[in-house]
Formats: sequence, structure tokens, C-alpha cells
Amino acid sequence: MKTETFHYDNRIVRAFAIATVIWGLVGMAAGLLAAVQLFWPEANLQLQYVTFGRLRPLHTNAVIFAFVGNGMFMGVYYSLQRLLKARMYSDRLSWINFWGWNAIIVGAAITLPLGFTTSKEYAELEWPVDVAITLVWVVFTLNLIGTILKRRERHLYVAVWFYIATAVTVAVLHVVNSLEVPAGAFKSYPIYAGVQDALVQWWYGHNAVAFFLTTPFLGLMYYFLPKAAQRPVFSYRLSIIHFWALIFLYIWAGPHHLLYTALPDWAQSLGMVFSVMLVAPSWGGMLNGLLTLRGAWDKVRQDPVLKFMVAAVTAYGMATLEGPMLSIKSVNSLSHYTDWTIGHVHSGALGWNGFIIFSMLYWLFPRLWNTRLHSVRLANWHFWIGLLGIMFYAIPMYWAGVTQGLMWKQFTPDGFLQYPNFLETVTQIVPMYRLRAIGGSLYLLGTVIGAYNLWRTAKSGVFEPDVEARAVIQDAPRQAEHGHRWIESKPVLFTALTTVAILIGGAVEIVPMYLIRTNVPTIASVKPYTPLEVLGRDLYIREGCVGCHSQMVRPFRSETERYGDYSKSGEFVFDHPFLWGSKRTGPDLQRQGGKYPDAWHYNHMEDPRSTSPGSIMPPYPWLLTRKLDTNALPARIAALRKVGVPYPPGYELGEAQAALAAQARAVVANLALGSITNAPPDTEIIGLIAYLQRLGTDIKAAPSAAAPVAAAIATP
Amino acid sequence: MNDPKTPLKDPLLLDHEADGIQELDNNLPRWWVWLFYLTIVFSFAYLGYYHVAGSGDLQIAAYQKEMVRGNALKDAAQAQFEASLGSLEPSKDSALLARGGQVYQTYCAPCHRADGGGQVGPNLCDDYWIHGGTYGDNLRIIITGVPEKGMLTWKGVLTPADIQAVASYIQTLRGTSPPNPKMREDLAPATPAEVYE
Repeated sequence: MKTETFHYDNRIVRAFAIATVIWGLVGMAAGLLAAVQLFWPEANLQLQYVTFGRLRPLHTNAVIFAFVGNGMFMGVYYSLQRLLKARMYSDRLSWINFWGWNAIIVGAAITLPLGFTTSKEYAELEWPVDVAITLVWVVFTLNLIGTILKRRERHLYVAVWFYIATAVTVAVLHVVNSLEVPAGAFKSYPIYAGVQDALVQWWYGHNAVAFFLTTPFLGLMYYFLPKAAQRPVFSYRLSIIHFWALIFLYIWAGPHHLLYTALPDWAQSLGMVFSVMLVAPSWGGMLNGLLTLRGAWDKVRQDPVLKFMVAAVTAYGMATLEGPMLSIKSVNSLSHYTDWTIGHVHSGALGWNGFIIFSMLYWLFPRLWNTRLHSVRLANWHFWIGLLGIMFYAIPMYWAGVTQGLMWKQFTPDGFLQYPNFLETVTQIVPMYRLRAIGGSLYLLGTVIGAYNLWRTAKSGVFEPDVEARAVIQDAPRQAEHGHRWIESKPVLFTALTTVAILIGGAVEIVPMYLIRTNVPTIASVKPYTPLEVLGRDLYIREGCVGCHSQMVRPFRSETERYGDYSKSGEFVFDHPFLWGSKRTGPDLQRQGGKYPDAWHYNHMEDPRSTSPGSIMPPYPWLLTRKLDTNALPARIAALRKVGVPYPPGYELGEAQAALAAQARAVVANLALGSITNAPPDTEIIGLIAYLQRLGTDIKAAPSAAAPVAAAIATP
Repeated sequence: MNDPKTPLKDPLLLDHEADGIQELDNNLPRWWVWLFYLTIVFSFAYLGYYHVAGSGDLQIAAYQKEMVRGNALKDAAQAQFEASLGSLEPSKDSALLARGGQVYQTYCAPCHRADGGGQVGPNLCDDYWIHGGTYGDNLRIIITGVPEKGMLTWKGVLTPADIQAVASYIQTLRGTSPPNPKMREDLAPATPAEVYE
């Protein structure tokens, strides 16, 4: 038996920790600005760059990938070295991971406000950034696996299992969902269309929540909670069962984001039942965390680290019960597209991710700087203000969601919609939007207090970049091991088993959607978009319209009476990407085509409140002056052809521009009818109007393609 | 943990540790195991009921049943209203006119302008009426629309009460003179046909 001396790298942990705090402040501030715009649209400062549609993805990317992402790396880089008794495999890879990841975030902060977006939620970043994310993630994974291979600890602790699952699954999700054909430096179209794109996107989107926001943090909980509580983990067996159940079941649940849409019934049902089966595995994590605290609850009263941790684990338990409930189809029929979803994700994001990160920060800063926390009192203030912020955020959102969901569905005794005017259901809940902004402000205030406290803590201590550690090298012959304990000593086998577990669900759902044609019945009258509509659709994507408007009429009488015929999967076969949306802050637009005159759209985009008094939609005056980028057309048509849209060969070489010009002239003529005589035919608004007037109209040319349904507004 | 204050070793404590973290060998909580079993049983039962046995209505079948029920109510109310059109008079009730004004601003103003002066749709304030200017004519045009001219049908969208309210409100616009009204159709230059596709 001999002892070996080595050093842990604390410098990389410090870098991620500082980035976590800074990006946390930035991301939350962006969220607050977005929240304020929902009751005060002028808060966009009349800048297209920070108008809601572009600001929302900036906020979500900043909090998920910048704040939570850096927080995850911080915790993993600290705990992994100690759990494996080894320095990170390569300092160089560690720093490529840090600078690469944060450069990507800066790239996001530049490209998203400029309107470079794929529109796919939590995967908005355009293809050059997607490539960079892939490379940096590979670096992180290599560093993780390399450290595991050179470990001085024979067995992998449960935290490391979760880190492995995270690294493998995020790589698979990101690559598959980002398969796209470039149509310019910052423009691409996904290889999937319509229903398939929706399925792949929500397989990704749901499991980004699972494997970026959940599994790494369960791993971190398994390290930091017993450390802070100084108690043994409640049940090793529970760790094993809930780990494997969780990663296997999670991957199937994506379709619960698409209930009652045009997705085939079988896929919806799979999404629902696998969500229901997730309750117990999720709660396994919560129980193992909370029960570890048996006999240590007195410490929870005094220690802010444990206070934040307990609240985080509890929020995790509530969010993972609520999620499966929202996945039950009948509940989802009320909750979907409403603020209920927003309340749900924020109870998870603010409660679980935010609080567990604060817990780690309060634990790490005094240790990294060899000092004591500057002020326990301030940390307690942070805790209570943050908790109050979560309450003020979540409760108004639940209230708003249920109120609006019920209003959408309410009929009079005569069978007419009680609230046929969508706007009426919005103005009803604007007070809740104000309260929500108060909640967000409180949470941000808490974070500011926390940042100050951490800064003072760091100032009062001395940072130790390389911490000496010792490990005992066992020479004695190993005892034979069986079962899971044996697998824990075989990292390659462990990683392979994990990969199999996470591939099954996705494969069973996605592959048949491609191979079995009956899953997407084609409709003969559905044709590709015209060149002007292609550019108009790209503007719709650029401005983030999909953040507030769905294009998916669900098969409920309350929806078909309001919007028109329900959406069919065959209508979306040329939609690269799909734009079904997941939230209706404004009405659904799937049957918008032909509903209003062109001039209405022109006036509405210039000033929404001129046509819809009380609307909270921001004005888009720049669309009336910016020139339509017709030079981009050839590359876009060519890229769309590559992903499968049947434009004839050579169409983009001249014919397309002529068709575009002719359609633009027609729109201008229509505008003149509506007393808008000065509209230049080469502005962006012309393209957007052309696209909006096309929406959902193809199917109306079909000879009785579907069951006769009274459309809310007849075809003109 | 190797807590010096706890001299007795927990019998459930496993003999391994990682960075000082130890683990207990507690059994899985029974209620948790049963919860897990219950959700699995439910899932198989659900899939079996809807997709193997085919017993439950999938979403389109459920929708069609809902439509039959809802449309029966609505059609009855609509038929009763249309049968009584001839005997209806414009209302002078201020509450009803206020409601009519609201409906007008929401649904009619986009084409006929907030003051009724006409924009895409014709001026509603003068005495020139393309499809007849009596209250009954107004009701009829609101209900059926004039598809070839872009006037939408509001049958089934607006309730009978709202159609009466807005038609009564439109009667109050008669004789007002908003600035820049749309030109009378019979005096206007020809416009391209079939523009609203």
C-alpha cells in the first residue's frame, strides 16, 4: 500500500463559478424585461433587438445554457475530481470547455437579438453556433471520460452516473435535433418538416429539461447535499433503481408537448403514459435527498446552503409531480398554450435549478477562498426574498393560465363561444402579468444580494488554485464483486448501458414517424410556399412570432369555432421548420390566411393597438421600412430543395424572382384597396403579409378532404 | 460520515465511501414502490384501452361527437333567430347600443373604419347602400355576408343578440359625416377584381 499525492484544479471551478453569477444576473434581467413587455409593450425601447419575440429566446438561452450551464460545469468540475480522486484529465480541455462555452453564449447574445434563429425552442442558435456547441460538448465529454479512466477510486459514485448520462444524452439530442441545411452564414432549414420536425424538436426540448436541467443536478445533489449535511445518503438501492428508471423513461416523454396536435395518436399516448410513469423515478431523487437529512434538520435551520438545497429538492418534487399531471391529456387540453406552462417551468427553473446553484455557490465560495461566508444573514435574506419571488411568479401564472384556459373553452347555453374575441381573454389576465414581474424582480433582487455576498466572501479570503490531495493506492487483491457494484467499476460498460437506455425511447418514437407513411397522410392541395411567402415566413421566424402565436388548431369545438378547421398533419409537409408554437399570448394563426384584408395586417404590424385596442403585441414599424432581402432567395430555395421541398431544378435562377415580384405587386394593389397607397413593393411587410395570407388556406381547396366542419369564418 | 459524536455505527451503513460520502442500505420506501407499480399498470391499461382494444374515442372521434352536440344547440338558436328577422326593429336601448359599439369596434372597424367612414368595406354613414339599407337588410348582410366582395359571414360567429346589437349600432351611424369617407362604389374607378384570395 502506498500513498500518492496530487492536486485538484480549483481555478477552473472558480472560472465557472464567476461566470455562473454574472450570467445569472444577465439572464434574469433579460427575463424581467420580457415580462414587463407583456403588460407594457413600450418597454421594448422601440428597438427591434430587444422586442419580445427576439428577447424571449435570449432569456431562455441565457438562463439555461449560460447560468445553469456554467453552474453545472462548476459543480461537475469540483465534485468529479474529488469523487474520482484525480485532477481533471486535461487542463487544456478544461479551459477549452470554459472559454468555448462562454464564447458560444456571447455568440448567442449577439445573434439572437439580430434575429438569427432556427425558431426551435431551446435550440434557437443557428448552425455555426450549433457546430461550436457540438465541439465544446465533445471536449467536455472527453475530459469527463478521461478523468474517469485515470481515477484513483475504483467505483463510480452515483453522482458520476448522472454526469455520464448527461454527457452522452445531451450529445445525442443536440446533434439529431440540429441536423439542418445551411442557406447562408446564419440561416438554415432543418432536414425534418412538420410533424417529424415537431416530434424531433420536442424529443430534444423535453430531454434538454431532463438531461441538462435535471440529471446533472441530481448528480450534484448527491454530492453537495450529503457533504453539507454530513450525513450518509439514505439509500444506495434507491439510487440505483431511480437512476436507471429515470434515464430510460424520460426519453420517451417528449410527445407530451404535442398532445391534441396533428401528431399521430399512438405517439401522443406514449408521451402521456411515459410521463405518468416518471413520477416515481423522479420522486426517488427527491426522497433520497430529503431522507438523507434525517437527523440533520437542525442544520437546515441554520445553514443557508442546506436551506437552499432543501427548497430546491422540494421544488424538484413538486415540478416533477406537476409535469406528469400536465401530461394527462384532459388536463393538458386546458393547460396547453396558457401561462400554466410558464408557471410550471419557472417553479422548476427558479426553485430547482436556481436554488440548487445558489446552494452550491454558498458552499463553494468559502472553500475556494479558504474563508467563511461573508454574511449568513444576507444569505438568509437572499433565501427568503428568492422564495417570495417564486411565489409571486408561480401563483399569478397558475391563476392566469387556468383563467384563460377556461375562457377559451367557455360556451353560452346556445352553443356560441362566450368569449369569441381572443383579446378579451388576454386583457383579463394582464394584472397577473404585472404581479409576475414583481415576482421576477424579487428573485433578481435576491440574486443581486447573493452576488454581493459572494463577492465580499471572495475578497475576504485567499484563493488556492491547486489543492493538494492524497490517495491510497490499494495493492491488496480485489474481492470478487457482483451486480451493480461490479458495473460501477467498469466505466466503459456503464457508459454503453446508459447509451442503450437512452436510445430506445427516441428510436421507437422517431423511426416509425419516418418509415410508416400513414403517420402523415398527404393532402394533394398542399403546395410549397411561393418565393415571397418563403421570405415572409423567414421574417416570421426572425421576429420570433412563434413565441406568442401557435399554428396548431386542436380538435376541440372551442378551437374550431374560434379559428377554423383543426390542423391536419398533411398540411405541414413543407414546413421547415414547423411553427406550431407552444404558447398563445396572441391567437392561433394556422387559419389566418384570408381572414383579414392585407391592409389590416399592414396597420396591425405598424401599430397593433390601432386595429386591436388593448392588445399587448409590440409594434413592428421596421418591417415597413426595411428592404426585403431578395438576394437571399436563391440560397434559400436551393436549401429548401435539399431538405425535400419540390421546387423545380433551376427555379431560383430567375423564375422565382419574377414570381416574387408579381406577388409583391398584387399585395401592393390589395393594400391600395385598403387606403394604403404608399407601400413600396420591396419592403419586408409585403413578404410577411403574403405569408400570413397563405396560412392554412391550402386545405380549403381540397375537395372534402376532411369531415365538414363549420369554420369560424367562411372562406372569402 | 465519520461523525465523532456518533460512536455507534449504523448497521445499515455500507462499507464504501466516496470523498467522505457514505451510503446507507435502506430498503426502498414501500409506498414509493407501489406508486411506481401503479403508474406502470395504469400505463398498460391506458394503451390497451385506447390502442389495442380500440374501446375509447381517439381525439378526432371525440371531436366529432362534441361537434354534433354543440352544433345542435347552436343551429336551433340560429334558426329561431333567422325566422324572426322580419319582425325585428333596431333597438334604442343605450346598454345594447354600447354592446353593439364594442362588437363593431372589434369585428367591423378593421374594414369599415372605427367611425364607419369605410376603408376596405364601404362607408356605412351615407344613404348609399349596395345591398339595401333597412334594418332587415343590415341583419341579413351581417348574417350571410357577401363573399364575392369580401364581406364575411358572421353567422355562427356572433350570437344573435350581438348581431342585433351591432346592426342597431350601425343604424346610429347613419347621417354622421366622418372625414375622408370611402368613395361611393358606383362613382369609384374600377379596381382589380378577385384580390382577396
